[in-house]
Amino acid sequence: MSETTPPVLEVCKVSKTYAGHVEAVRGVSLEVETGQLLVLAGASGCGKTSLLKMINRLEEPSGGSIMFGGEDIAGQDAVALRRRIGWVMQGDGLFPHMSVRRNVGLIPAMSGQDAARVELRVREMLDMVRLDPHEFGDRMPGELSGGQRQRVGFARALAGRPELVLMDEPFSALDPITRDGLQQDFRDLQAELGFAAVMVTHDMAEALIMADVVAVMRDGRIIQQGTPHSLMIAPADDYVSDLLETPRRQMRAIAELAQ
Amino acid sequence: MSDNLAERWAELPDLLAGHMLLSLAAILVGLSISLPLGILAAARPRLAAVVLNLASVIQTIPGLALLALMVPLLGGMIGYAPAFLALMLYSILPILRNTIVGLQGLDPVVREAARGIGMTARERLWQVELPLALPVIVAGLRTAVVWVVGAATLATPVGASSLGNYIFAGLQTRNWLSVLFGCLFAAGLAIALDQIIRLLEVAARDRRRGLAIGVGVALSALIVITIAPSHVPSGVFRRAGADMAQTGDRNDLADETIVVGAKAFTEQYILGAVMQTRLESAGARVERLDNLGSTIAFDALRTGEIDVYVDYSGTIWATVMNRPEPVNRHAMLAEMTGWLYAEHGILALGGLGFENAYGFAMARDRAEALGVSSLADLAAHSDGMTVGGDAEVFSRPEWVKTRDQYGLGAMQTRAMDAAFMYGAVRDGQVDMISAYTTDGRIAAFDLLVLEDPLGVLPPYDAVILLSPDAAANPELVNVLSGLVGTIDSDAMREANRRVDLNRETPAQAAGWLLEHLRTGPGADQ
Repeated sequence: MSETTPPVLEVCKVSKTYAGHVEAVRGVSLEVETGQLLVLAGASGCGKTSLLKMINRLEEPSGGSIMFGGEDIAGQDAVALRRRIGWVMQGDGLFPHMSVRRNVGLIPAMSGQDAARVELRVREMLDMVRLDPHEFGDRMPGELSGGQRQRVGFARALAGRPELVLMDEPFSALDPITRDGLQQDFRDLQAELGFAAVMVTHDMAEALIMADVVAVMRDGRIIQQGTPHSLMIAPADDYVSDLLETPRRQMRAIAELAQ
Repeated sequence: MSDNLAERWAELPDLLAGHMLLSLAAILVGLSISLPLGILAAARPRLAAVVLNLASVIQTIPGLALLALMVPLLGGMIGYAPAFLALMLYSILPILRNTIVGLQGLDPVVREAARGIGMTARERLWQVELPLALPVIVAGLRTAVVWVVGAATLATPVGASSLGNYIFAGLQTRNWLSVLFGCLFAAGLAIALDQIIRLLEVAARDRRRGLAIGVGVALSALIVITIAPSHVPSGVFRRAGADMAQTGDRNDLADETIVVGAKAFTEQYILGAVMQTRLESAGARVERLDNLGSTIAFDALRTGEIDVYVDYSGTIWATVMNRPEPVNRHAMLAEMTGWLYAEHGILALGGLGFENAYGFAMARDRAEALGVSSLADLAAHSDGMTVGGDAEVFSRPEWVKTRDQYGLGAMQTRAMDAAFMYGAVRDGQVDMISAYTTDGRIAAFDLLVLEDPLGVLPPYDAVILLSPDAAANPELVNVLSGLVGTIDSDAMREANRRVDLNRETPAQAAGWLLEHLRTGPGADQ
């Protein structure tokens, strides 16, 4: 790795043990490159959310190391680190007492930019997530639909020009049509801006459709990591096969209807 | 009645200012303690448990008791300091509790979002956690405001003037207009402050600068209107009775300020006004501190917070000197005088000339029907009878000994405010009361004070007491000595009757009494 640019994110043999001896993550390693979307898939309790939260130090690993932009995050100021990493949560995580404008402008404002530049950035970001700044800027989160709120969530996460975006089940609370549109828009955004992303989901179809790389987790370990294509043609074990079976069966059923 | 109304209005600026200064300071200091403490405790469950329990214990202490407790805790200091301290403690719990509950009750998703996007602890607190918890915190603040403004009326017995002066004095002198004044203005003040805080919250929540400025102006105006006049003496706000001060024929006490204390009943108000008039005609400036609790008055004299008040030999004997057995009145006066001077440097100037003892009184017709004229006759009828009395008498030796020595153990006791007991025995709601022997209502309601053949009830000579500092002032001693031995029981009873039954003000009754002293006994009416 001396010649090529290093991966944006390198997770190396990371483990996490909670008090009470629950081993949530056991020696996980993975890499994410610029422009890439890695999806952590698996049932709830498999350790995927714990792994995600260790990347921006919402939780501290019990062992192993995490390198971001070529530097070990353990030695970095957690607040400064988080400002360089976008964070999107399930159910949007918008601040209900702040307008759309204030939510989106938070990170630029906190980093000390003047009001005019913050406003410019807010408009740019709202345009980018396809929300009219004039129509939505002054609305409160409670006045938006679920899909609109999640778009604002993306705009807030991207406003600080992050090199990496972390997402915890960002689409799970949305209706299927909204979800489909938003998934595509997200990949378009990523192609345009070139950030790396790690997304957690329990929806295997979503993982297959969106990911560059899927990492399937079970009991704190990655049991298979590869492109969606490689998973489909060669599942590592019965567990992965079972996970893939649901989307497969749905596809077959829909295909039969068309005949 | 219109005189009464005018006098109540004249008192308003001082009392409202006192009430406002006390309440606002208590709430502001309480807020500045409880809000940071609540923020610290919200993230520390053990600290939260400790401070909440502590604050709850304070809250369970009745307001009046908490205020009274502050006096000995501050070494006998009376007035603003103990009242402020008690009310400040009182304001802590609701704000503290709501701060902790409000912060702990925030949506964990929102808390995590704030951390996840890279806000510092300070930014999270100020931009996310406090704004979201604000409605709950403000609800606590509003509760505190209503409690404190209400409880500040109880500051009167510890010597801090507040709207409670209207209520305590009005209750004692059966001046219901005065009581109503106190209640209405205290309630109005509480409602006004409560609404101002509510509107400030709305302004903060909706970021309405105009509303915030408007409410800020309203609050400032309220503060200025209530507090300023008492510091700007003007013809408009002159105190009732102040005109008495102007014409001094002698100026022995010129430029001296004398604080005259009084306990919370009619006779004390009248005697306070009598001493005030005498001192003012000698050129002194007099401040009055009425409605002091019984032992608080003595403590205040001991520490020099007040210069002079009238107490009763039997009270000092039993509650200050802690003597179990009464002795005859001359021995008691002599021994009390020596003891007070030796122990505290307090000068007992001498008896005013009357005795206001506890005496057990029945309605005359009922006593005659039962053939009762003395406490000794009563035992045979005592089963099922009820005796009414003020809050302290039933725990005092006077009742305990009367009950034991005359065999009245079967009687029920019923504590009530002294203002109500004479009417209660007249109307048969109780069978007997622990009357004060100088009360004008004994004669007016045709009550019979039962004889005490065993001599159980101690003597209660009214005595002028001077603080150590005041005792060292020969002019002051000289002026007040002129009152010693001049007021007999009949004169005192008549003065009391004028207030309690004729609805004269204590100042008017004092004027009558002084005129009566000048023209000599028997010259009036």
